[in-house]
Amino acid sequence: MSSAPEKQDTTARQDSPRKPLLSVRDLEVQFRTDHGPATAVGGVNFELYSGEMLGLVGESGSGKTVTALSVMRLIPDPPGKITGGKVLFEDIDLLQLTYSQMRRIRGKKIAMIFQEPMTALNPVFSIGMQVMETVRTHEKVTRKEAFERAVDMLTAVGIPDARKRMGDYPHQFSGGMRQRVMIALALVCHPQILVADEPTTALDVTTQAQIMDLMIELNQKREAAAILLITHDLAVVAETCQRVIVMYGGRVQESGTTEHIFNSPRHPYTQGLLRSLPGPHQKPKSRLNAIAGNVPSILDMPTGCRFCTRCPDVMDRCHREEPPLHALANGQLVRCHLLEEEAT
Amino acid sequence: MTAYFIRRLLLILPTFLGVTIIAFTITRLVPGGPLEREIMRMRQAQAMGEAGGSAGASNIVDPTASIPSRSLDQLKKQFDLDKPGYEAYFLWLKKICTLNLGESYVYREPVWDLIAKRFPISLTFGLTGFFLAYLVSIPLGILKALRHGSTFDVFSSGVVFVGYSIPGWAFGALLLVFLASGRFYDVFPLGDIKTSTYEELPSIVRNMEDLDDVTDDFGTFEWDRLSLLSRIIDRSYHMALPVFCYMMGSFATLTMLTKNSLMENLGQDYVRTAFAKGLAPNRVIFVHTLRNSMIPLATGLGHALSVLMAGSYLIEWVFNIDGIGYLGYTSILGRDYTVVMGILAINTVLILFGNILSDVLYAVIDPRIRFE
Repeated sequence: MSSAPEKQDTTARQDSPRKPLLSVRDLEVQFRTDHGPATAVGGVNFELYSGEMLGLVGESGSGKTVTALSVMRLIPDPPGKITGGKVLFEDIDLLQLTYSQMRRIRGKKIAMIFQEPMTALNPVFSIGMQVMETVRTHEKVTRKEAFERAVDMLTAVGIPDARKRMGDYPHQFSGGMRQRVMIALALVCHPQILVADEPTTALDVTTQAQIMDLMIELNQKREAAAILLITHDLAVVAETCQRVIVMYGGRVQESGTTEHIFNSPRHPYTQGLLRSLPGPHQKPKSRLNAIAGNVPSILDMPTGCRFCTRCPDVMDRCHREEPPLHALANGQLVRCHLLEEEAT
Repeated sequence: MTAYFIRRLLLILPTFLGVTIIAFTITRLVPGGPLEREIMRMRQAQAMGEAGGSAGASNIVDPTASIPSRSLDQLKKQFDLDKPGYEAYFLWLKKICTLNLGESYVYREPVWDLIAKRFPISLTFGLTGFFLAYLVSIPLGILKALRHGSTFDVFSSGVVFVGYSIPGWAFGALLLVFLASGRFYDVFPLGDIKTSTYEELPSIVRNMEDLDDVTDDFGTFEWDRLSLLSRIIDRSYHMALPVFCYMMGSFATLTMLTKNSLMENLGQDYVRTAFAKGLAPNRVIFVHTLRNSMIPLATGLGHALSVLMAGSYLIEWVFNIDGIGYLGYTSILGRDYTVVMGILAINTVLILFGNILSDVLYAVIDPRIRFE
């Protein structure tokens, strides 16, 4: 929208694609349970580059939301705790910042939106107040300026008659509109990174498409320079993301460009995920190709490869040692012993 | 929403009629009513008179002889018992509509005056208890929620539950024994709402006031001659224990309600959103979460209207306070039905309006609530 102020931060545009905006290094998160500490996420590495949409996919319990919350340092503590690794943003390790320093990053430089737009907005405050609050927390602006900024942002995310609706409450909006408000609230300070945790899961299919289109549009217009999209919906990833990270059992199992991951998946888990999608090749009323078994609980993860209990190509050594990430020539990273077997 | 409140206001009328009709019927049906009491009193007087003059009695009157029918008729007329029940009720209702509550059978005074005399006492206790309860419970509940599971939380929960389990009047008696009787400590007075002699004044007040200034020409102590500050100190000194007893009950409920409500809200998604926006924890807790947590508490606020007529018979009895609670109770025992009905009518109106006020507050604090 022309009404949205120009992004002042031009460095994001000039960033060479090789210099990542956000870099997560060896992230480890543990949760305290009655049966001792459980590692929800371990050894997670990835980069987010300016201008891209990065998909983080996996089943429930794979650690994708924990990873996203770690970037924001919003892991509920107790019982959770980030026990290792680095989250580098603008050459600063976010995990080393004091609480108030981190507070100035949240909402201002890195913003987050959540799955359930009804409960994620405060029911007793008007949406105008909630969007203005982000601006007024991070910038020295007058009430009037904040009001105008909120109206502009709500217009930009496609709220019709935004000015008139500033005083309305969340329950007066539909699910899709609420998620737009949520996006406006997150982007009103023009953060460099938007972490979107299953932003369309709670919405119906047509609304999902509209919200995804909006996010792509905002990403292209640099309202949000980079988007980390957490989802279990592979179709959404295929349509929107340039790169994909597949997580399972708290580990990155495979990563690469969307094209490589979808056309030539190398990890048995990714292959299984893609096979389980219903497609035009599927015979009507035939069974979907589900991956057998369930995600193991974080309390009894297998010692070797996290996927060994469900892997169709499991070998003896998979139970003993966890495979390292093998780098392929096309930049794809795969955590599987099979690649080594092939090489030898 | 206006239509809803108009409907609620209109509903007050039938509810009021229903409540008063039931109460009125009970006064008519329960044995030992004012008429019987009066007859008994007259007989006793007769018997006493006979006993006094029996020495030279020439004509012996049968003590079981009935009251002359002429005075019986008079009495019936006085209590409106000469008319059928519905007629008497309408007579009462007509008087109520002109705000005339009738005259007490026992005190021979207008009911209004009886209530008005005790009204300041009730209001002082009611308001102080009410505000103190909220003033202590809400911060305590917040603190308990934020320090959930800490020693402080566990300890204060213990205190809250003990307070909840002991009735205020029973604890009042204990407090009197321990803190006022002089048997253990003599910190507080034994009762009443002001000191009646100069010697009994708290020492702080005595130090400030000269004996000559506060006594009249005959050397009698006059409380009203004390300075304002002294009067406040003396009043607080007398009110401390009873107010504490009034608070105990609502204190426990309010504290736990605040705590549980806040805990529940702290786990909500919107709290995470607020943190993700970069808000300071204090703002998240005291602006975002607290407003949501206050919704269940707002319901109780409407009943603040009832503090106008506050008064627990038992607490007033323990602390020897002649308030509305005490008046209501003694008038029931003494079958002083005009007083009973008067207090009932006022309380009914206050509660009914209080309920509507609660609804209004509910809608004000929670925008999702819209009454249709």
